[in-house]
Amino acid sequence: MSFKDAIWWIFKAVVAQRTRSALSILGIAIGIFSVVILNSLGEGVRQFVLKEFTQFGTRIIAITPGKTETFGLGSLLATKRPLSLADAQDLKRLAFVEAVIPVTFGSGQVKSGRLSRYTNIAGVAAGMDKAWAMTLASGSFLPDDNWKNPRPYVVLGHKIKHELFAQGKAEGEWLHVGGRRFRIIGVTAPKGQFLGLDLDDIIFIPAQLGLQLFNRNSLMEVDIFYREGTSSKAISQQVHRRLMARHGNEDFTIMTQDDMLAVLDRILLILKYAAGGLGVISLLVGCVGIITILFITVRERTQEIGLLRALGMSHQTLWWLFVSESALLSLLGGSCGILAGGFVVVVVGFWVPLEWQWFEIGIALSIAVIIGVLAGLWPATQAAKLNPVLALRQNP
Amino acid sequence: MITLTQICKTYAMGGETIKALDHVDLNIHKGDYISVMGTSGSGKSTLLNVIGLLDRPDSGQYFLQQKNVASLDDDTQAQIRRETIGFVFQTFHLIPRLTAFENIELPLILDKIPATERRSKVIKALKQMGLERYQSHRPNEMSGGQMQRVAIARAIVNEPNILLCDEPTGNLDSHSSADVIAVLEALNQQGITLLVVTHDAKLGKRATRSLWMDDGQILKDETQSGALISAHP
Amino acid sequence: MRTLDLIRFSFNTLLRHRLRTFLVAFSVAIGVTSVCLLTALGEGARRYVVTEFSSLGSHLLIVMSGRTETTGGMPPIYGTTPRDLTVEDSSRLHRVAGIKNIAPVIAGTSLIENSSSSISRSREVIVLGSTPAIFPIRGLTLGQGRQLPAMANTKATPLAVLGSKLKHELFGSQAAVGQWIRVDGRKFRVEGVLAERGQSLGLDLRDMVIIPVQSASQLFNTQALFRILIELDQYASEDKIKLDIIKLISEHHQGHNDITILSQDSILSSLNEVLSLLTVSVGMISAISLLVAGVLIMNISLITVSQHREEIGLLKALGASSNTIMALFVSQALWVAAMGAMFGVFLAYFILYVAGLLFPDFPIQAPIWAAPAAVSVAMSCGLIFSWWPSKQAALLAPVIALRG
Repeated sequence: MSFKDAIWWIFKAVVAQRTRSALSILGIAIGIFSVVILNSLGEGVRQFVLKEFTQFGTRIIAITPGKTETFGLGSLLATKRPLSLADAQDLKRLAFVEAVIPVTFGSGQVKSGRLSRYTNIAGVAAGMDKAWAMTLASGSFLPDDNWKNPRPYVVLGHKIKHELFAQGKAEGEWLHVGGRRFRIIGVTAPKGQFLGLDLDDIIFIPAQLGLQLFNRNSLMEVDIFYREGTSSKAISQQVHRRLMARHGNEDFTIMTQDDMLAVLDRILLILKYAAGGLGVISLLVGCVGIITILFITVRERTQEIGLLRALGMSHQTLWWLFVSESALLSLLGGSCGILAGGFVVVVVGFWVPLEWQWFEIGIALSIAVIIGVLAGLWPATQAAKLNPVLALRQNP
Repeated sequence: MITLTQICKTYAMGGETIKALDHVDLNIHKGDYISVMGTSGSGKSTLLNVIGLLDRPDSGQYFLQQKNVASLDDDTQAQIRRETIGFVFQTFHLIPRLTAFENIELPLILDKIPATERRSKVIKALKQMGLERYQSHRPNEMSGGQMQRVAIARAIVNEPNILLCDEPTGNLDSHSSADVIAVLEALNQQGITLLVVTHDAKLGKRATRSLWMDDGQILKDETQSGALISAHP
Repeated sequence: MRTLDLIRFSFNTLLRHRLRTFLVAFSVAIGVTSVCLLTALGEGARRYVVTEFSSLGSHLLIVMSGRTETTGGMPPIYGTTPRDLTVEDSSRLHRVAGIKNIAPVIAGTSLIENSSSSISRSREVIVLGSTPAIFPIRGLTLGQGRQLPAMANTKATPLAVLGSKLKHELFGSQAAVGQWIRVDGRKFRVEGVLAERGQSLGLDLRDMVIIPVQSASQLFNTQALFRILIELDQYASEDKIKLDIIKLISEHHQGHNDITILSQDSILSSLNEVLSLLTVSVGMISAISLLVAGVLIMNISLITVSQHREEIGLLKALGASSNTIMALFVSQALWVAAMGAMFGVFLAYFILYVAGLLFPDFPIQAPIWAAPAAVSVAMSCGLIFSWWPSKQAALLAPVIALRG
């Protein structure tokens, strides 16, 4: 049997049993559809989260005081060996360093006129707008003052400005923060939340004034932005050496954006593949469906198979015909699933983070075909094993 | 008992319309033994199906026991079939996976008769057909004549008034045929109305009344006064 | 047809087609098993968190300084404010009725050294400055020695309780109780060592040291408390006590309400909610496989109908109503679905049983609703997907059906 004839034969077999072929295809299609959708969702979420983290650029390393294994807590705890403003200032002089932002966080009451709010307070420095990719709605950001002795200027987050000044102009007004007067010089554009911190419900003041306000000796974090042309590893080694020289021992923790992203990405990838894996269960059920239908087909076509064998068709050809039929059903099912999935990704993708992934979808399609071939093996072997004489005699 | 007036039925077959029944009028009385004869395609099977409520006429009226049944809905017709009509087919139509007993039991199951009552009725029908020994045989373990007797037992187990037979001897050898005909005629003797479709003229002549059909019309309707009663013609 | 006869009849038909019945039931079983197992994972995570929380003692309030007024965002966990919570604030709270235990906490990191050993071993760990009340509140038990004495409530006494891991790092297998350690250079005597268990919600208490709150205040040169942990009486009203605490603290903070109170119950219930939601959605996603099984049921039903046309015709000729025919085929599908579902539930619980033996620590267990939900989804799929094929069977004209 020539290849072309075989294709035609299989095609006719599939079309002759339209309804059952369609339903077999539908089963596989639902499976592939869910694999595609869940995988796209996983990838969408992954990219969304990574984008959240890389919105401030990727050439960042963060230094927190204290050397403890307890992730992320170091910056919140009291310490005898603080990370000081002087440390941050010193790091500015390292090669490739573009900007150093000292950070201290807290919360407190802010007042303007008769209105007051409790809000987040961030002690930072000039350059922070660029570093954190913040844009201003109006006014200007903190000026590049001497860190030890900065002017009492404040920049308001979008939301806090609205609550205190409504539509009015805020620049030039005074803001009382913890018994001290700050002059408002700018208002940020809406930014949204980052890791649960509302970046609109916040005010930015110079780091030194923040430390005084909260009566702290240590910065919570120092963010270093470095230029292109070096690696995160090289720069963190530099920082490490410099701080060791200043402190005498390792009482700080350096975290590069790369490290953090790598950890995060590993978690997100696991989540993504787990989601895709959930879809594979449906694919498995679809596979059982194809096996079942092919068995029934073999049984129904027993006489026909007997005739074909009597007419001189070989075991192998017969076997291949059934396996190919199964593979074709799977392939069609997979394609339908991918088309439907693609449609949903395009339509729903406007509201939900869905990311189309050619590579994984190629894999999904291959899985579908492999499953089809595997599903065909058992019934095909049964068909090929049939004794032509007995097969011809048997009633369907 | 049965009155057909101006019954018409056409089939579409390969683009052609075939008049299977063409304004047929027919009266059947209780206890009649009627044979319907004709060439294949003459409409005799369609007539049987219409009388048996298996098929709906396109037009005309059908009164069964003074009731207009042609226009009843499917389920009511099914109920009438269940209660008053028995069928015997050329190909027996026994369910292969069921034993003789279970095949005969089917109509009783459909009629929601409790199991104990079913049992006695089936046994009675088996006895009547002389099949007691075969009650747990499956169709493939019986001869054609035995299978047809099982089918007849099934047809009469819920005591119908009318027995409709479509070529009941068509798949049987002459010995079995005689056997089956004897059984059917004995039933007729007990008062059941018997309608036999056949193209076997010899069999047809045994009936008290013979209808000859062609092209969907009844050409001849003869009543034989001196019909033979003997079992072996 | 009587119901019992119907069930028997359809079951017999299934037995005729053992292989396909088995395969369809198997596909349903895969779906049901995966629903049960995956929800069991979610439920296990939920139970794990709940047990972790309840081991901290129920009815716990966490007071921290700082507050933001917009809702939705995270509470200000960094706890730094212009006006700190102090040890005095904490002792004032004893006046609030319905409070069982209060533990102020100063948290910091320090370098700990074993000063009595000739080999100097040092580690940087978290130091918790607190009062003896922290032991009952966090459900801490001692492996060796004693907890902090009552005097630690008010005085800076150089006494320390070590986490079990920290004890090993500093002293190895030697006895630690009664030995001296240095915390950022200051000498403290080891009063006790915590029992081995001590991982609680991210805070690895095995690698910490607990000292009196006043000592920590001196050590870190701060009055600012990191948290105040409050254990309530069993029948106390959480909401009322929250209001009382806010009122009392405000009085001493010039009328400013600048604290945030989290209740363990509310944290627990929101975590519970999130994890339950996760469990339900995972269950729903795995239920898609039951949909695929449903499509298979439909396919098989159609094939069965087409293979049994003659029989359908016969039954109709014998007087079966269309409802009977329909019921016959639907009940066949329901049989298969039920068998598959049953097998699936059995398989799932077997796997869970084995998993329970292998990982006794993780409380993996299918939620109560999982099996009934999976079974009813499976049965509904059987019903819905066999409906149309069965309808086709019921609508078959008897004359045509009899021809085979």
